[in-house]
Amino acid sequence: MALINIATHEIHCKIVYYGIGYCGKTTNLQYVYKSINPAIRGEMLSIATETERTLFFDFLPLDLGTVHGFRTRFHLYTVPGQILYERTRLAVLNGADGIVFVVDSQAEKFEENVQSIAELEMYMRRLGKDLGHFPFVMQWNKRDLPSALPVHVLDRYLNRRRVPAFEAVASSGVGVFATLRAISKSVIAQL
Amino acid sequence: MEQLSNLVISDHELEAIRATLSKLLHDTSASTVMLLDKSGQVISNFGNGVRRNVTSLGALLAGAFSSSRQVAELLGEKDFRTIFQQGMHENIYTTLVEEQWLLVIVFDKLTHIGLVKVLSKKATDELVRVLARVKADTSRRKTSVINVEFRSSVEDTIDLLFRD
Ligand SMILES: Nc1nc2c(ncn2[C@@H]2O[C@H](COP(=O)(O)OP(=O)(O)OP(=O)(O)O)[C@@H](O)[C@H]2O)c(=O)[nH]1
Ligand SMILES: [Mg+2]
Repeated sequence: MALINIATHEIHCKIVYYGIGYCGKTTNLQYVYKSINPAIRGEMLSIATETERTLFFDFLPLDLGTVHGFRTRFHLYTVPGQILYERTRLAVLNGADGIVFVVDSQAEKFEENVQSIAELEMYMRRLGKDLGHFPFVMQWNKRDLPSALPVHVLDRYLNRRRVPAFEAVASSGVGVFATLRAISKSVIAQL
Repeated sequence: MEQLSNLVISDHELEAIRATLSKLLHDTSASTVMLLDKSGQVISNFGNGVRRNVTSLGALLAGAFSSSRQVAELLGEKDFRTIFQQGMHENIYTTLVEEQWLLVIVFDKLTHIGLVKVLSKKATDELVRVLARVKADTSRRKTSVINVEFRSSVEDTIDLLFRD
């Protein structure tokens, strides 16, 4: 639920990057952080293990400044993708206005991706939301790797809803901002 | 008994405080979020755990906080700003808003303490700003609505700013 504070003229939107462990969620936020105009970004907060796996979440606030009299803010989050953190994922999802599902395109990750989308759908139902009527985009990440499945295969099996999907190589920034623009606009359209 | 603070909180500032507290309540799934004056006065109180005895609770929490602070001081702790009370069912997290207010979050074990810490830090930052406005006794007014023009302006801004 976006916070639209008429009294204080503020709008807050929360965008969550979801997906399996090691698929590149944190890498997306890190790229945004280091490449976006520093005036727009706040501090990036990462609660991670010593080995850089997300333990709780990453958090990156972006502030568009005042647009038409409203201070518009997007709060980007990642969930921890590793299986054991499932309750944490649910906690981070809570209050999301939009979701980016980051797919690890490698063939050997296909099944895990499928399970992760099923989990997301279940959590959204639990939160009283229907993914079919919710700002939601897909990112096909790790397109640079040799075992990446063809996009049309990913699209057929992982994108049943035919939501906007973007090819990416998050580690070099390819597709990162295209994905962010798409989800942000989708969130604003649903305000 | 401590003296009442001289702060005068306008309707407008109270509105801002309530927004911060309700957001915190929602995002942490806490049962209660309170803003207290350090004297123990309840400035604002949010939550489904409706507290009949909210007034005494405020006083006790503020008392417990300053007591713990004294303990910390005796132990040579320099910057004591929070206490975490872990209960069987409910946990209480209390944190200082500058030297004036206390933000209190009551939550159960389905909520992660890390989330409470991070989000209460954010809320505290917001409340610090409200406090500054309260102290300066200023208020601002604007009128606007979310309309087609607003949406298209935001879209243009997104295209402009969300890029490398
Ligand atoms: N080759 C390649 N590597 C990538 C790409 N995107 C991310 N990586 C690498 O994949 C590894 C894991 O990336 P993270 O962003 O930490 O993954 P995560 O999804 O946040 O993982 P969890 O925090 O465990 O959920 C890092 O070493 C990244 O550099 C990509 O597009 N191509
Ligand atoms: Mg991560």
